[in-house]
This record gives sequence, C-alpha cells and structure tokens, in this order.
Amino acid sequence: MPPEALAAVVAVCLPLLYPAMALLPSTRARVMRFALPLLPLPALLLAVFSDPGWQLDMPWLLNGGLWAMDELRRLFLLLTAVLWAVAGLYAVGYLKADHLRRFCVCWGLTLAGNIGLTLAVDIASFYSFFALMTFAGYGLIVHEGSGEALRAGRVYLVMAVFGEMAILAGLLLASAAADSQMLADLPAAIAAAPQKNLVIGLLVAGFGVKAGLPLLHFWLPLAHPVAPTPASAVLSGAMIKAGLLGWLVTLPFGEAALPGWGALMVVAGAVAALGAALLGVCQRRPKTVLAYSSISQMGLMVLMVGGALADPGRAAVLFPVIALYTLHHGLAKGSLFLSAGVSMPTAAGARAVTWLLIALPGLSLAGLPFTSGALAKLAMKEGLSADKLDFALSGYLSPLMTAGAVATLLLVLRYLWTLARTQKTGRNPPALAAGWLAATGMSLVAFWWMPWQVDGLVKAPVWLPKMYQLWALLWPMLVAFILAAGALLVSRSVKKR
Amino acid sequence: MMLSVWLPVLALMTSLLAAVVIFALPEQGYRLRTAVNLGAALVKLGLVVVMVWGVFRGVDYGVSFTMAPGVAFVLKADALSMMFAGLSAVLWLLTTVYAVGYLEDSPNRSRFFGFFSLCVASTMGIALAGNLFTFFLFYEMLTLSTYPLVVHRGTEQALKAGRTYLIYTLTGGAVLLLAIAWLQGVAGDLPFREGGHFTENDPALHTSLIGIFVLLVAGLGVKAAVFPLHGWLPQAMVAPAPVSALLHAVAVVKAGAFGIVRVVYNIYGVEASSVLGVLEPLAWLAAFTILYGSVRALWQVDLKRLLAFSTVSQVSYIILGICLFGPVGAAGGLVHLLHQGIMKITLFFCAGNYAETLGIHRLDEMDGAGRRMPATSFAFTVGAFGMIGAPPLAGFITKWTMGTGALDAGMDWVIAVLVLSSLLNAAYFLPILHRLWFRDPPRQWPHERRWGRLETSAWLYWPTLVTAVVTILAGVLASLPFSPLSWAELIVLREYSP
Repeated sequence: MPPEALAAVVAVCLPLLYPAMALLPSTRARVMRFALPLLPLPALLLAVFSDPGWQLDMPWLLNGGLWAMDELRRLFLLLTAVLWAVAGLYAVGYLKADHLRRFCVCWGLTLAGNIGLTLAVDIASFYSFFALMTFAGYGLIVHEGSGEALRAGRVYLVMAVFGEMAILAGLLLASAAADSQMLADLPAAIAAAPQKNLVIGLLVAGFGVKAGLPLLHFWLPLAHPVAPTPASAVLSGAMIKAGLLGWLVTLPFGEAALPGWGALMVVAGAVAALGAALLGVCQRRPKTVLAYSSISQMGLMVLMVGGALADPGRAAVLFPVIALYTLHHGLAKGSLFLSAGVSMPTAAGARAVTWLLIALPGLSLAGLPFTSGALAKLAMKEGLSADKLDFALSGYLSPLMTAGAVATLLLVLRYLWTLARTQKTGRNPPALAAGWLAATGMSLVAFWWMPWQVDGLVKAPVWLPKMYQLWALLWPMLVAFILAAGALLVSRSVKKR
Repeated sequence: MMLSVWLPVLALMTSLLAAVVIFALPEQGYRLRTAVNLGAALVKLGLVVVMVWGVFRGVDYGVSFTMAPGVAFVLKADALSMMFAGLSAVLWLLTTVYAVGYLEDSPNRSRFFGFFSLCVASTMGIALAGNLFTFFLFYEMLTLSTYPLVVHRGTEQALKAGRTYLIYTLTGGAVLLLAIAWLQGVAGDLPFREGGHFTENDPALHTSLIGIFVLLVAGLGVKAAVFPLHGWLPQAMVAPAPVSALLHAVAVVKAGAFGIVRVVYNIYGVEASSVLGVLEPLAWLAAFTILYGSVRALWQVDLKRLLAFSTVSQVSYIILGICLFGPVGAAGGLVHLLHQGIMKITLFFCAGNYAETLGIHRLDEMDGAGRRMPATSFAFTVGAFGMIGAPPLAGFITKWTMGTGALDAGMDWVIAVLVLSSLLNAAYFLPILHRLWFRDPPRQWPHERRWGRLETSAWLYWPTLVTAVVTILAGVLASLPFSPLSWAELIVLREYSP
C-alpha cells in the first residue's frame, strides 16, 4: 500500500472513529473538544504533501471501492481540511458544556463525510460519504436547540432528503447507462444516454440543494446562521462546495455541448448572484447576511459551471478556475463566519486592527487587488471571456460578473454594518481567537503557497495586475461603496424625518 | 458421502431435540435450559457454516424418502436454502441470548423456549425442504409453533391477535395445500430445481399453471404479509419483543417470501414465469405493498406497530426483486432476505430494550432516550438508516442492486417506487431519531429499571449491538466473498445458468 493510500485511510477513519470517544464516562468525555482541531490534520497532510495521481483500490468495499486524488480533488480536500481545522480550533474556545458530546460526535461524522467525498472515486463511497455529511450535519444545525434552530433543521432535513433521493436516482440511472460503478465513467455515459436530460436534471437538482441553487436554497439562510459559529463556517465554506464537487465529477462536462443546460445554469447563477444580494442586504443579522453572500458567491461559480456545460471545449479551462474560486471563497467565507463570534478588544488600536482583519477577507471576496479574490475574479473573467466561449449567452457573462462583484461588496458592507451593531466587547477565549486568526491568515497569506496553480492554467497575473485589470477590479467596488454610502444617507435622512 | 446425508438432518434435529429437551425440563431449571438453548444454537450455527462452505464448493447435501406413492419427503441444501438457513441459525443464536434476558423472571419460560426452538426447527425445515410437500409440512408446523409464542402473555389483546393470526395463516395454509394438490395433479411431484420445471411447457397447461401460481402466491402471501393479506401482522406485535424480532426477521414473514422465491425460481423457473405473464402483476402488487406499508407506518404512534407496517413494506422488496426479470434485480431481492432480517431484528431488539429498560412503548415517550441508552439508540439509528436505504448500510446495497436490476430489465418505474419508499421511510424514521437524540429526556421514564454498568441487561445489550454492527458490515463489505450480496449473486448465477 503506498503511503498516500494509508494516509487517506487514516484521514477518513480518524474523524469517523473519533465519535467512539463519546463512550467514555461523561467527565472524561470533555476532552473530546480538544481533539476537534486535530481531526482534519491527516487530511491536511495528505492534501499538502502527496502528489495527485495515487489511488487506493478496495475491491471489497461496497460495490468495489476506489479512492484517489487528482488536481481538482486535491484543492477541494485542501480547502476542506484547512477550514475544518481552523473551525475546530475555534470550536475549542467557542463550545459550551451542554450537549458537548453530541456536538463532537456530529462534528466528527460530518467531517468524515466531507473528507471522504473528496477522495471517493467510486459511486457508492462517494454517495455514502455525501449522505453521512448530510445527515450528521443536521446535528450541527440544530445543536442550539432553539425553536428557530429546530425549524431550520426541519427545513434542511426535508430538502436534504429530497436532494439525496434525486442524487440516488440520478446516480442509479447514470451508473446503469455506464454499466460501471465508477464516477469517472458517468459523464460520457450520461452524454450518450437517451435519458440524458432526466439524469442531468436529477443530478443538478440533487447536488443543487447543497450548493444553494435558487429555489433549492431555502434551507441555507435559515440553517447557516443558527448553527454554532464554527459549524456555520464549515457549512458555508466547505460543505456547500460538496454540491459543486458533485456536479463537477458527474455531469457530462467536455463530452457534449449542452447549451440548454448551460443557459439554465447561467440564469440560475445570475439569479443567485444578484437575487441573494438583494435579499441579503435586507437582513439584520450578520450570519444571515453571510449566508446570502454564500448563495451569491455560489451563483458566480454556477455561471462557470453553466459555461463549462455549454461549451465542451472550454470545460478543461474552466475547471481549474472553478477550483481556484472554490478555494478562495471557502477560506475567505470561513474567516468571515468565524469573525461573527469574535468579541472586540477595548483598546482603540487593537480595535482598528481587528476590524481590518475582519474586513480584509470580505474585501478579498469583492476582488480587492493583491488578495486571493483578485486572482480568482481575474481568472474567472478570463475563463468566461466572450470571445473564447462558444455559447449564445456568453455576451451577458461579463456584465453579470461585474454586477456580481458589486453585489458581493454590498453584502460584505452590510455584514460589517450589522456586525458593528451586534458585536460584543471583551476578551476572547484564546482558542477562539486563534482559530479566527488562523482562518484569516489562511485566506490572506497562506493561500499564496497553496497548489492552486493547476497545469499553469490559471494565468492571471498575481502581483502586478495591469492597469486595465486593476480598473476592472476596482470600479465595481467603487460603485458598491457609492451605493452603500447613498443608502446610508437615505436611511439617515428618513430617520431624521 | 454419509455426511452429506446427515448434515441437513442434524441441522434440523438440533433445534427439534432442543425443543423436546426444554419441554421436559422443569420450569426452574434456568441454567440448564439456557445452556441447552445456547448449546443447540451454537451447534446448529456450526453445522450451517460447514454446509455453507460445502454448498459453495458444489457439494450436494440431501436426503429423501417416499412417504406415500407420489409423495416424497425431501431435504436438500442448495445455495438458496443456505441463505435462509444461515439467517435462521445466526438470528436464532442472537434471539435466544436476547430472549433469555428479556424473559428473566417471567412465568412459563419452559413453554416459551420449547415453542421457540420448535419454531426455529420449522424455519430450518422450510429452508431445507426439497419439494413443495415437505415445504408445506414445515410451513404449517411453523404456524402451529408460533401461535403459542404470539399469545404468550395471555392477555385479552394477545389472545385476540393470536386468533386473527390463526385464521389468516390456516386459511392461507389451506389455499396453499389446494394449490400444491392441483399442481401435483397437473405435473406430479416436483422437486425444487434451479431453473424450474416449466421452461418448455405445453400451451394447453397455461391456464391451469397461472391458476396454480395465483393460488400458491395467495397461500404464501399471507405469511409474507402481501397486501391485502397483511392484516394479522400489525396485531401480532403484541407478542414479546424477541418473538416479534424472530417473526419479522426470519420466521414467519420470511417463510412466506422464501416460499414465493421457491415457487418462482425452483418450481416454475423464472423464464417460464415471465412467459406466463405472472411476474409483472406480482411486481405491481409488491410495489403497491411497499408503498402501502410505508404510508400506514406514517400514522402509527406505537413503536412496534410502526415496525410491523415497515415489515409489510420491506418484505415486498424481496418479492419485487425476484419479479425483476434479470440476474441483478434478482440478487437485489434475494439479498434483502438477509438484509431486511438483520435490520429489522436490530430495530425490534431496540424496541424491546426501550420497553424493558425504560417502559417506553409509544413514539412520544422516546424523547431523549439517546442520552440514557446510547448504545441501543445507536443501534436503532443504524437500523433506521438501513431501512431508509442510506449508504453505506445493508439497505442501500439492496436498493442499489435492485435499482440497477430494474433498469437492466427495462422496468424504470421501479426506481420511482424505490425513491418514494425511501422518502416515506425517512418521513417516519427520521422524526424518531430526532426524538432520540435532540429532545430533552422527561424527568421520569414511564417504568425504569437499572442494571449495573451497562445501560440495560447485558443479555439485551450485546445482541442488539451485534446486529447493528452486522447491518453496517453487510453494507460496507458487500463485495467480500460470503457477504449477503455475494451469496445472493451465487444463487442467481446458479438459477440463471442451471
């Protein structure tokens, strides 16, 4: 067994078996919380140090198990491991004593599912891990036990179960068409299948529930905010991406031109990117604003999915960009969510630094130069540029992305605004502060050393954007600032009257 | 050579002898009775393991003698027999352990365990029967030996349930006997044979063959609880938990389903059944029963009653599976014979644990039980997710295999049934899981008992955990040799290329 394969087994089994610690007597089970940040470490090592290309064959598992890693999965695994690690660290300081064991059990299982699904290459393991993540995630959402949390949990569970069933039916049809139990054989088989549209529809909708596709998103703004803050961070940063990964590994990208599905996804992405912003700026609670921001950001990624579906020749270029965007958004959103639970220091200087560190990942989402966001946005613009994409709607994509950038920053500003009104002052538990700082550091600094440079396909200039690129990044931000300032003035004057 | 004759007989006799010895033992002989029970169960398990290995290598186990002109008593072990016998042997051991703990200090234990062993002997006979006549003998013996178990508590309700049970099953038995006699008249005494007997049949016989098929399925469908013959099953849940567990997992309902499998595969042959056009209506009936049982389960407030309706639904998966014309679908149906057994017995063990430890019978009493009884609740969670068909548990393997088989056979509508059934299962199991884990426990349980270190008596604790772990392993390790799925594929291989 190659060392990578062994590491993969450990990476999945550690969080999967960790819940057994709950069997300890309740006094000793308190130590469970200290293990939370350690659980994703094997996965992190695997993502950082192993070269893609290894595989682990387990013919005895389910319908024949195969786990492996390619460039795409590596980035998803990296994001997953980093985010769960920093959120786990944060959780050590965040969690209270009640129902601690239950929370840790659900955390471990959800994490195991999230890691496993990025490694699984056979259908049955992939679907198993996906379902594990879905059902264990319920425990994270309803953890607080308030009426609101229970309601959010109910909506989540109902939609998730329907999603799971759509995925099951879609995978069954695709697997039968391919006569194979491996994910890699599905895209070509789906493209050639007589029931192509049914299968694609089922998979788009099934994974779309996780990814927050418009009309399938209802659970998301309810569930992401009510979960404990570290859980919100992984829900919105990592688990939401599982739906995206599901699309990427099953849908027939590059196999056939699907302009109809491409157009549908582009429309859905546009509605998500702009509609979620519209709803999001009306929210009063910081974490709800962030949840809408996640839907909005996923909308931008759905635009790329749509482009890749419509133009088979472009899929290979868009995939690394999608992965890059995923990594960027996951890290930034994780940091933003964790900042929602941070208390402000009293000293003015420290306050200013804290605010800066809270705001920077947000500005990164909006594409601030010299952040991961600038890189991702420029790569996306390049990937979806109208002259290279063979797609009827390609002309609309550029303005859509610009509007999306405006929407992004508006939501970030709204988040900061609502946060300023609700944030407490005081000391933070050390682990909590460390978790948030680590998340922020990952998003702003460590990102640059991460292996997002896949096959040299991401060609966006990093440190020296050309003038026109700077302008392209900055003017939507200016518009957003002006809009926000305008809204502020209007609301002030309305209040005065 | 001798061994191949004696092994099936011995396997049958162990339970039968145990029954006789237990009847003879005095009521107070607790230790001796337990020793006899467990010893016999272990011996039987050992014999079955040896036979499974033998059948795998292609050894013919069998014995037959003529009882009357044209009527033979035949015991024979083929791959299908061993599937049922294996289930019966494993679950007998676990249920015996469980029953010893469950019936601690209750009256009439001698009678209970005597009939219990008799009931298991009947299932063994059903598994090993080599023709319809022998099958019928044990099938009726099963009816008679389970009746005392159903009415064991002796309450008004139990007696009423027992009466209903007898009316249903004896009527079913009579119909079955009629069908067997008719078949005997048409075609003589037919031993069970892989591939069946009617591949090249006379078109003139079609009408009577269809008529016989309908009667056979009607007779067997009573025990298999196929709609509309399922009425006795939800009532019979008044029986003690280990009885319900055995009834639902291996003994009664499975005997019916197993009989239908025998008729389709080893009497008619799957190709002939398909030519006669009897499979499609049966598939529709099974599909309807699957959904009907689940819909009824939605409205239940009593845990065991809910599980009973779930059984109505799940057993029809087996029937639906064998009606999917093709090897993959057939494997999906057959594997559910084992999967449903192991999952349902887990759930019934849990129901028994809740009842015995905390006095919980109704769903609304289950709030917060996960905290008090984590191991039992873990087992219940596994069983429930298995029933929903969530991967990687046993139920998922069934659904996936059946779904693939249905698509192979061009019966795409089955996918809709599978999905709908999963949704319904989720709709009645997930709220229970929410209650268990996410609600606060009441200040006082209805009727709490304490046993030292474990959450419940060790006799109840371990069998429950073992079946839960097996439910997980049957799914996760589905591709290992001798896994339920691999064995089902072996049966199908022999049926489709006899």
